[in-house]
Amino acid sequence: MAAATTPAKRRTLGQIIRRLLLIDLFKGLALTFRYNARALYEPRDGGNPLQAIYTEQYPKELARVSERFRGAPRLNLDPENGASLCIACDLCAVVCPVDCIEVGSIRREVRDGDKVNKKKVLTTFIFDTSRCMFCNLCVEACPTDCLELTQSFELAVYHRSGFRWDREMLEKGINYVRYTK
Amino acid sequence: MNVIITTLLFAAPEWVRTAITRERQPNVFWSEYVVWPLIQILIVLFIVLTVVAYLVWVERKVSAFMQARLGPMRVGPWGLLQPLADGLKLLLKEDLIPSKADQSVFTIAPIISVVAAFVVLAVIPWGSTWATIANINIGLLFVLAVSSISVLGLVLAGWSSNSKYSLLGALRSSAQMVSYEIGMGLSIIGALMFARTLSLNGIIEAQQADRIWYVLFQPVGFVVYIVSALGETNRAPFDLPEAESELVAGYHTEYSGFRWALFFMAEYTSVIVTTAIAVTLFLGGWTLFGLESRITPVAFSIVVAVLLALLALLIFWRGVMGEPPSIMRTVGMAAAALFILAAIALAVTHPFTEQGARVLFSVGVFAGKILVLIYAYMWFRWTWPRYRYDQLMALGWKWMIPAGLTNIVLTGIWFVLALPKPQGVFGLMREQAGRLLPTGKGIAYFIATAFVLTIPITWTLLATINRRTRDFNLAEQRQLQMRLRRERLEKQLQKGARESEQAQV
Ligand code: SF4
Ligand code: SF4
Repeated sequence: MAAATTPAKRRTLGQIIRRLLLIDLFKGLALTFRYNARALYEPRDGGNPLQAIYTEQYPKELARVSERFRGAPRLNLDPENGASLCIACDLCAVVCPVDCIEVGSIRREVRDGDKVNKKKVLTTFIFDTSRCMFCNLCVEACPTDCLELTQSFELAVYHRSGFRWDREMLEKGINYVRYTK
Repeated sequence: MNVIITTLLFAAPEWVRTAITRERQPNVFWSEYVVWPLIQILIVLFIVLTVVAYLVWVERKVSAFMQARLGPMRVGPWGLLQPLADGLKLLLKEDLIPSKADQSVFTIAPIISVVAAFVVLAVIPWGSTWATIANINIGLLFVLAVSSISVLGLVLAGWSSNSKYSLLGALRSSAQMVSYEIGMGLSIIGALMFARTLSLNGIIEAQQADRIWYVLFQPVGFVVYIVSALGETNRAPFDLPEAESELVAGYHTEYSGFRWALFFMAEYTSVIVTTAIAVTLFLGGWTLFGLESRITPVAFSIVVAVLLALLALLIFWRGVMGEPPSIMRTVGMAAAALFILAAIALAVTHPFTEQGARVLFSVGVFAGKILVLIYAYMWFRWTWPRYRYDQLMALGWKWMIPAGLTNIVLTGIWFVLALPKPQGVFGLMREQAGRLLPTGKGIAYFIATAFVLTIPITWTLLATINRRTRDFNLAEQRQLQMRLRRERLEKQLQKGARESEQAQV
């Protein structure tokens, strides 16, 4: 129990002065006024906790996520020739605790210069974002840095089937309708 | 054509007619008491209602800024059209009347509240000379009397809703309003002693003549008035009728749609009225250090032009610069350009007459002072937590009313002491045109007594009266009861033990 708040117990002189001059009330007023004044002259920077106005106007301004945020998956392409980096090794599917990745592949002869190699080639890739818990295990398992969880978080869809992302969506990303108002 | 002009002139107010025909007419009944007041009423109602609508917007913005939010942003630029959207929504909402309610009383109650709030606007001194609708000599009494009627609206609303929430809410708020009315009535008497008139314009002119704002003579009265006005208008920290974080609602629980909006219109209007009275009584009304009678049309035009230019700059700086091209941006640019053009035109042509400039300037000063006080109201609301109901009543009865009474007694003593020589002791006032004016020394004397003597004496008295109030802290109070009980029991036990000892002996 807080001591020295009953009149029966002695108050210190400082406490008496604080109460007489209503110091606490004025401190509160000063704080709110500071916020109000800063809100008027500071440039807007939504989501910045150091700013007097924290609000992000979400569909208009994109919400900020942390650097380590794990969101929508993506299959990276080779920047040189645009081919998929995926070697269809199935490691991601194996490591996934909730079995949400399905890698489809065929064995095929691939010409590499003079030689002709028999190689596994990726055909389909299904990623079920409704079951995924974004644990990042698959990304860490991937030997070619092909699979990656990006910072995009807008995963809502109109129907459950939309949660099953196929290879095309994974490579190109979803086509969002952007609301700017 | 001539006939129309003659009729129009016949109905026109005195000052317009004298300005046009340069001659006075004997029969002024229609023009002075019917047509011109009607025009004034329309203007005042239009402006006040718009201001009320925008006060809601300002309140939401201020609260948002104080809480690191943005407030309404979606309807119009910076949410400026939000009041319109709100009004439309409230108009279109279903207008429910509970089936067990007393239908006619239920309908009348919000109207009583709103009318009581609006009628008072008639006597508010919005500016000098023709800017007041009715300059009656009992203005202040009229304000106090009529604004008290709004309690009737609350009680009827609570009772006719036939719901326990409404009834309890109405009981609470009527008790609150009635008790704070007393503090309010007491707090203004000190200022009335100096002004010696109940006419609101008279009070302002008295401050003009005394060359002082009465807040300096009456700091205690001012504080008591502001606190009581907050309580009277149900504003935070005394907003128990509404108390959105604690209650369903108060007396207006069963109200919806436009009837509900009427109650809020009444609330915000009475906020304007109480601040207007505070400005009139304590802050010098529409006076501004004598500037209001000295300002020339040119100076006034330049002031207005500067204000317009600032507005244009604000629009340009916060709304247009750095925005992607859009319709809103074009509109903003056009508005900024228009304001700049208007400012230049005003500064060049200065189209005001001498009197017009003065009156408009005084209206602007009055509005500015009111807005500052209203901002303070909002500031208090979004800073301080709400009182509990018993604390509220304790504050009203044990702090505000004694403070008001002390202030009256002390001000009376200082006043009598300062009367001119034969009656008074110090002789710090002189008579001029039937009024008692404090001399230069007298002003210093009144300010000094108010701050050096009245405030400490009032504080000591209040502290003495309330020394047994246990900090409004329920836990403490309970602990105290328990401690007292324990002490009593221990004493009894000891007594019992002693008695048994004696019996054994
Ligand atoms: S992030 Fe985790 S749950 Fe999601 S697909 Fe990868 S391994 Fe499976
Ligand atoms: S672990 Fe990487 S390379 Fe292997 S199948 Fe998965 S995405 Fe392709």
